[in-house]
Amino acid sequence: MKGLLKRLTPFATDQSGAVSALYEMGGLIVICDAGGCTGNICGFDEPRWEHTRSAIFSAGLRDMDAILGRDELLVKKTVAVARELGVPFAAVVGTPVPAVIGTDIRALARMGEKRLGIPFLPVTTTGTGLYDAGAGMALKTLFERFCPVGDSSAAEEKEEGSVGVLGATPLDLGRSEGGHLAAAFLRRGWKKAVCYGMGAGLGAVEKAGRVARNVVIAPSGMESARYLLSAFGIPYSVAWPMVPRRIVESCAGARRVLVIHQHVCACAVRRALEGAPSPQGERQIAVGSFFERVPDLIRTGDFAFCDEDDLAKVLNGGHWDCIVADAFLGRVMDGGAAGRVRWVDLPHFAVSGRLVEDGDCADGIDPGDLLTDAPCGGRSCER
Amino acid sequence: MSGAFFVPVGQLAALAPENWPDALFSSRHLIYSSPATLAFNSPGAQGFGVKRAALCIPGSVMLLFSPGCCGRNTSAVGGPDGTYGRRMRYLLLDEADIVTGRYLNRIVEAVREICESADERPSAVLLCSTCVDALLGTDMERVCRRASAETGLPVLSCTMYALTREGRLPPMVLVRRTIYSLLEKAEKQADAMNILGYFTPLRDDCELYDLCRGAGIRRIREIGRCRNMDEYREMARANFNLVLHPETRLAASWMAETLGIASVELTRTYQPEKIRAQYAMLGQVLGVRFEDSEHFEKASEKLAAFVRRHRGLTIAVGETANADSFELSLALLRAGLAVAEIFATVDPAHAVTLKCIAELSPDTRLYSNLSPSMLLYRQKEGEVGLAIGQDAGWYHPGCPCVPWNGEAQPFGYAGLCALLDEMERALSGGAPCAGGEA
Repeated sequence: MKGLLKRLTPFATDQSGAVSALYEMGGLIVICDAGGCTGNICGFDEPRWEHTRSAIFSAGLRDMDAILGRDELLVKKTVAVARELGVPFAAVVGTPVPAVIGTDIRALARMGEKRLGIPFLPVTTTGTGLYDAGAGMALKTLFERFCPVGDSSAAEEKEEGSVGVLGATPLDLGRSEGGHLAAAFLRRGWKKAVCYGMGAGLGAVEKAGRVARNVVIAPSGMESARYLLSAFGIPYSVAWPMVPRRIVESCAGARRVLVIHQHVCACAVRRALEGAPSPQGERQIAVGSFFERVPDLIRTGDFAFCDEDDLAKVLNGGHWDCIVADAFLGRVMDGGAAGRVRWVDLPHFAVSGRLVEDGDCADGIDPGDLLTDAPCGGRSCER
Repeated sequence: MSGAFFVPVGQLAALAPENWPDALFSSRHLIYSSPATLAFNSPGAQGFGVKRAALCIPGSVMLLFSPGCCGRNTSAVGGPDGTYGRRMRYLLLDEADIVTGRYLNRIVEAVREICESADERPSAVLLCSTCVDALLGTDMERVCRRASAETGLPVLSCTMYALTREGRLPPMVLVRRTIYSLLEKAEKQADAMNILGYFTPLRDDCELYDLCRGAGIRRIREIGRCRNMDEYREMARANFNLVLHPETRLAASWMAETLGIASVELTRTYQPEKIRAQYAMLGQVLGVRFEDSEHFEKASEKLAAFVRRHRGLTIAVGETANADSFELSLALLRAGLAVAEIFATVDPAHAVTLKCIAELSPDTRLYSNLSPSMLLYRQKEGEVGLAIGQDAGWYHPGCPCVPWNGEAQPFGYAGLCALLDEMERALSGGAPCAGGEA
């Protein structure tokens, strides 16, 4: 049945993605909820929250707030905290409650901005979308606001040898910090790697017009890359430079392989497997994802999963030799099919909440760019 | 904002509740999100929230129908043996579902599919709704009736309405009623009682069991000990209910009206004299005399010995613990220990305890975990020697800590003794708190 999860649990949603993209930016993040969404976002989807304090707050909405539409009260509370903390901006993140009662998040942001004179970013998530949509929305909003078209200071001179990394969140990387990601780009010969949202904060966003090139490592970075290309002429490519070596080794001898992850990572694994010697002849490697897909990376035979039933059909009926995916997804396999398939674990934090092991980060393969000099007006990611 | 807001208890106790500072009222400010507030924002993230609590009904399964965000943390909170997570099902709603209301028909279909695909037929299906249905005003009783007619199984509604947590009937009160709602009136057993209030049983070594058995109450039932529906149904045969948590009063009152089971309420306390007084009162109600002197002496002596060994120890008490932070603070102060900080959500019901604390330690600082200013909290180096409660531990990284939030519920003298054992263990080099980076 569509939308029914009997063996899986829900994946990270858009509001978690948005908070993840904004987490290290130093702003005040107000999650417009009754508390439960904040608990889920911070307590489950944000591994940095356990050890690093961040200005994340719940609006603490109650039934009377919803009934009476007390937007003014929420703005007043938000302005009071933003003023006291002296933050450079505030973001208002939507959840199911404002979505259902029709709260105008943009109007809330305008009211706050007018009151306090600092940027208020509206993030119109609803809790029904997936994390990549929310992360992409928040990231693009951030760039549009802090690195606007025509901002001469943002682009006054290009920093030779610098690369901007777009789409990095713990939900994609499975890590609390992006040091290994930056290191992977430095190994490519870049002098400086700026991982927006994981190591690089608001100051880097303000100077985003100066990097020589952007690299998108997850579909959530695509819209921002397109924006920075059109606003500042910064070319971008698509890559995932750190495929764990053990994955390639574990797939040795498999002819029919299915890779499931966020689309860029999964396509990079495919590229790495295609580059590895295969004594059994040509391999058939399909990619599947529950999340947004980069149209130019989709091949015939790839899969876009909508729900658990979709996944079950492909896993149980595909006669795969090897499946590279988060072990959590293995729950939907029938006993018989599970016995025939080699499962190679590739954790995806947005799916299972599991972090990636240190060893996977230390020993990675860079399969090169998946797309180079992608176009400005390319097709939007599709689900 | 120069630092975290606090108010000395002496100052607070002198004020009428209506004059308490705004920072102590969660409705008057944004709510800070930190590991110390996780239990408030998302009670199910650790311990029991609505989802896990409702699944106390043996053999039941739950269908959570909601946007994906509401069920996201469930895989992390599968309980100690992971079985709770395996009894959860989800029907994800998208925007079109919410706008059209079409999911209400799909719920019935989903319940049927869940029952048909289960290895073992569930004893009951719990339909868990969220803030979305609270706002839409969904008639859950009707949905439950339809699903029940379709499957022939009991189908119950439980509500995870965070919007109403400070209302007259908060979710954790309602779920405590839901879990007993499948009981049907049955012939009473004079020697049977139920313990209500917690979702897991009391500690096995709790003297309450022996005291009651000594008084002729041979059948003591708790929902957390029911292994199957037969044992669960036996709870309807109790002669009386012992209520140990105020959020169970609604359930107890429902059981009195529907099943004819009266109730007696006791409070969890860590003060030996109060424990003794409560047992004496319970004895009076039951017409027996509990012989608890030995337990009292042992617990009192253990407490006194601890204080002798750790004279000068200063403690921070939090609210993410199996204790009322104010009552526990008072117990520690009365025993002769020092309490420098209390992290808690205060309400007017605490006024009397606050006055008692103020008499003994007016400078004890009260912080509200929920106050935005807690982002700026910094511990005073070297002041606190022991943190009790997971939240207090988070504020004092590196300090010996007793999280005191385990599954087995502490109560009575045994609860006090167990707490003292844990405090001793922490002070003698047990694992310190992980804490939060300043």
